[in-house]
Amino acid sequence: MNGKKGFLSILLVAVLLMITACVGEEEDTAADSDDGVTYHYFIGGSGRDVNTNETVIGKIFEEETGVNFQVEHLVGDLNERIGVMLAGGTYPDVVVAAGTEDQLVDAGAFIPLNDLLEEHGQNILEMYGEYLDRFTYPDGNIYYIPFGAEINEYQPMANIDQGAFWIRKGVLKEYGFPELTTIEEYFDLIKRYADEYPEIDGMRTIPFTGIGHDQGFFRISNAPNHLAGFPNDGGVMVDMETHEATVYGDSEYAKRYLRMLNELNAEGYLDQEMFVMNDDDYLAKLSSGSVLGFFDYGWAFADARNALEEAGEPDNEFMALPIVMDEGIKDQYIDPPAFVQNRGTGITVNAENPERIVQYWDNMIKEENQRLIMWGIEGEHYEVDDNGRFYRTQEQIDLVRPQKFQEEFGMSVFSWDWPRINGTFSDGNAIEPRRQPEVASMEYRESDHEYLEAYGIETFSELFSLPDERPWYPAWSANVAPGSAVDIFSEESDQVLKRHYPRIVLSDPADFEAEWEDFVEAYRSLNVEEYEAFFTRTVEERINGNWQFE
Amino acid sequence: MSQSMNPVEAEKEYKARNKYKAKRGLRYFFRKCKEQKELLFMSVPFLIWLFIFKYIPLGGWVMAFQDFKPAKGFFEQEWAGLDNFRFLFGNERFFEIMRNTLAMSIINLVLGFVTAIALAILLNELRNIAFKRIVQTISYMPHFLSWVVVAGLVSTALAMEDGIVNTILLHLGIIDSPIMWLGVAHYFWGIIGASDVWKSVGWNSIIYLAAMTMINQEQYEAAEIDGAKRIQRILYITLPGIKPVFVILLIMNIGYILESGFEAQYLLMNSMNMDYAENLDIYVLRYGISMADFSLATAAGMFKTIISFIFLFGANKIAEKLGEARLF
Amino acid sequence: MGVIRKIVGKRRGVDDLIFDTINVTFMLLLVVVMLYPMLNTLAISLNEATDTVRGGLHILPRSFTTYNYAHVFNEAQIIQAGIISVLRTVVGTGLGVFASAMVAYTISRPHFFLKKFITLAFVLTMYMNAGLIPTYLLNRELGLIGSFWVYIIPGLIGVFNLIVIRSFIEGLPETIFESARMDGAGEFVQFFRIALPLAVPVIATVSLFVAVGQWNQWFDVFIYNSSIPELSTLQYELMKVLQSTNTSGGSAADSFSRSLGGQVEVVTPQSIRAAMTVVVSIPIIMVYPFLQKYFVKGLTLGGVKG
Repeated sequence: MNGKKGFLSILLVAVLLMITACVGEEEDTAADSDDGVTYHYFIGGSGRDVNTNETVIGKIFEEETGVNFQVEHLVGDLNERIGVMLAGGTYPDVVVAAGTEDQLVDAGAFIPLNDLLEEHGQNILEMYGEYLDRFTYPDGNIYYIPFGAEINEYQPMANIDQGAFWIRKGVLKEYGFPELTTIEEYFDLIKRYADEYPEIDGMRTIPFTGIGHDQGFFRISNAPNHLAGFPNDGGVMVDMETHEATVYGDSEYAKRYLRMLNELNAEGYLDQEMFVMNDDDYLAKLSSGSVLGFFDYGWAFADARNALEEAGEPDNEFMALPIVMDEGIKDQYIDPPAFVQNRGTGITVNAENPERIVQYWDNMIKEENQRLIMWGIEGEHYEVDDNGRFYRTQEQIDLVRPQKFQEEFGMSVFSWDWPRINGTFSDGNAIEPRRQPEVASMEYRESDHEYLEAYGIETFSELFSLPDERPWYPAWSANVAPGSAVDIFSEESDQVLKRHYPRIVLSDPADFEAEWEDFVEAYRSLNVEEYEAFFTRTVEERINGNWQFE
Repeated sequence: MSQSMNPVEAEKEYKARNKYKAKRGLRYFFRKCKEQKELLFMSVPFLIWLFIFKYIPLGGWVMAFQDFKPAKGFFEQEWAGLDNFRFLFGNERFFEIMRNTLAMSIINLVLGFVTAIALAILLNELRNIAFKRIVQTISYMPHFLSWVVVAGLVSTALAMEDGIVNTILLHLGIIDSPIMWLGVAHYFWGIIGASDVWKSVGWNSIIYLAAMTMINQEQYEAAEIDGAKRIQRILYITLPGIKPVFVILLIMNIGYILESGFEAQYLLMNSMNMDYAENLDIYVLRYGISMADFSLATAAGMFKTIISFIFLFGANKIAEKLGEARLF
Repeated sequence: MGVIRKIVGKRRGVDDLIFDTINVTFMLLLVVVMLYPMLNTLAISLNEATDTVRGGLHILPRSFTTYNYAHVFNEAQIIQAGIISVLRTVVGTGLGVFASAMVAYTISRPHFFLKKFITLAFVLTMYMNAGLIPTYLLNRELGLIGSFWVYIIPGLIGVFNLIVIRSFIEGLPETIFESARMDGAGEFVQFFRIALPLAVPVIATVSLFVAVGQWNQWFDVFIYNSSIPELSTLQYELMKVLQSTNTSGGSAADSFSRSLGGQVEVVTPQSIRAAMTVVVSIPIIMVYPFLQKYFVKGLTLGGVKG
């Protein structure tokens, strides 16, 4: 009876192991030795879990305040995790709710911070200054602190990480670095190159592609909005004069853009798989060097850029262009300063001595500590020139770049999801090194300089217009209640766009009008009016300084 | 004879034998309890476990009729009547969603059973034990790959340029130009079915291999002496031998008629095939979970349960009528 | 052809030869199709992440590195989490299979008067899902949250497994049990001395199912114990690594600084997922051959019948 013996021994081992497993389970997370205390800091986004005092910066902060945080990031679905938190009524000490703030406030999970800030958070109050109103709830309370209050001067990025029409650098070089403005010029150049070079390095040339997989259909459907000269304001374009919000899904711009894609397709210049590919396939295509152009957001294909850089063929890389629909439209690809008032970090009712957390935050928001978080230590991670400008040497760039360094030093954990500022320090240096032109130009390679010089610019973002003032920006940070008509419209309109755009683009040019009509009918059968009205009202209220309204 | 009595017959016979005892009532119950106290001792603790862990939480179904907010208790919620069900069934795409759900579920069910049994039989026919073991181990490896990985491989295999499927078909002259497999909506069900077979056929065959070990080897020997061919042995010994297990599994799976899978569809779906890809689970994710609407998800769950029960009891009844093994 | 002939070996008839040749050929083809994804995953896990982005990898790495594994194992928690994973797999499988087998035995007995009631009570739960929040609240009331037992007790018996074991025991010749009863054996004795030993193939199968389920589980860690690092499991830790990779791939800090010579090691979700898959599947794949011997070769019941 071999089986039985084996089974019994497994059982025995199991029981023994269980007994050992039970020991040492219950441990209190709060209140450690003397003055030191550890709080549980839950972040509803992804990242690497750490104890802040295990990082260089966190260690310094702990010495200053006696506080340590056990930082936990979300692993599964946010709504499920927050759902059980709310149902069970047990919360981590601090929660970065990542879009579920209202639910936590409604449940009474966040404590009001007003008095605590008054007493222990003078630096926070000062830094957030004029923004405080934006995140004060209608009941007069502040429940959470958003990130990235813009202070002093707005500093644009040195490189484009947002939406743009991208073009293979080799195409520009081939035709003597022409200046491209309109979408027509852009497509013409691509077509010309594709005709001359039907193959690149033995691979079939892919003149124009794109991607809209899974949650990312906006990477296709936002293009008309940008061509019309609007920044990414969510699902609407906000008129600069009337401040009226209108959807652009079925706008004239969308129609014209889709017609161009339709023609490209009919002539064989469009990659049909653009509506089918997943991210890996798309990135592989971009890194193959055979793609000439596409619309996308810079952050979304970073992996392909890394791969192209490593391959060492600068002409295969891509450059961002501020393409617009017609001559005379001012491009607005670069995001205006955005203060997302409805996301933030809050202290829950579970935290003992919440003033210690506020004190910690108040300490870290000081300019010198923000400098420590963003730039590191002077002489080690950055230098200061005679004019007081910060820069990094090549060695410092190489030292700071690896993910591992940023994690161990504490740059990655503190750089977001904690109270912080944006813009420039009082001495005029950019708060984020990547926005400091001195750092960016140091990072440019020889091949980059070739293009920069050809276009007579210092940084790649100089090709783009600076953002106009849009005091409501971003409209997408409006408080849309989950399951409301506006929320459902967002979901359903996304479905309609996904379903119809490919049909319109890939149809026979003769059927274009019919397909378009078909789409408009489906789109207009949704509750467009309520959606537009909601955003028009949001914009209006915000212009009047009212960011919190029922 | 070596083959055991069919459990159905065994039970019938037992009932017949004990007909005179069949007086029901409390007295009967207590007498039985006393008589079969050992069996009760072995099962009742787990019955209590079942009640606590599986039945008590069902009280939460009440939220299907509420506008549930997790922060409040079950009794403090706002009542929504049948609104959640109305939202579920009222969607204009509901028919399409049900069609997709049922189609993919049935395709997966049929393909899954046929391929798993076929593989198990073929493996069982391998005489070289070492080879058999190696093949079997390898055949179930894809089971350990997550759908993300499998979907990635499927999509690469189906690519227009250099995709292995198009390359082979072009070489064989079956098609003259590459097909955008994932871009043609009505290929979607087939792609899901094939991917599912690839991922799980080896794993699913394990249980039939185990079932085959219960077949008495003497039968094969006897058949061989009688001059039965391989095919005959498979048809008359192996297949009947695994039939009870097959029937039981089939009944259980028929109950899962609305579970057509989720990850595979979600990952392989795109804007061109979504009309054939969207199933009930994806719909619930879209309007339920991701809008923090637990009530809608619960309502959908209840709907699934009702459909499951109908199919489950139906299938069980049919099995009974046909004189096959029953689930309960 | 030579390989096939070797595996097929000597056969008596022409029919047999044809059958076996086709079968073996088919199996070899199957091996290729089934092995490819695993080898591809292995290749990706051993390839530099930025190079993998280019696509076109098959079964051999193009630009070899072990960095993906280094990154996965960088987590300090991983050893402890591995221990918890092994523990929950062993305990969960041991207790779960034992409990299932015991209940299965009782509902396989034709004379048991609660047979149908218990079977139905279990089977119905397969198709009823209370949902996340009620389940969470129940486990909280029972004090299972923050404890190792939440991995074991709520999912102790899998109904599918229960039914599978039952139908195997039902398939055993009733005469064996009858003769045991005549010798005065009670139900416990019949269960331990007859049902369990004879059901070894199915016990092995079900153990495999339960073990794999336990080993791969991460959702219960996420819902119940995610703030208690001591009770984290390997799968959960790996999920964390994967999630943190998702951000760093798009993180501005990493992607906009440019590399000027000097290799910078970058990870992408794709390569981390591959390394992760290899790490978690190897132990389970290695366990298989030990269980396999119980169900590759048939048992002869004739001997036991007496």
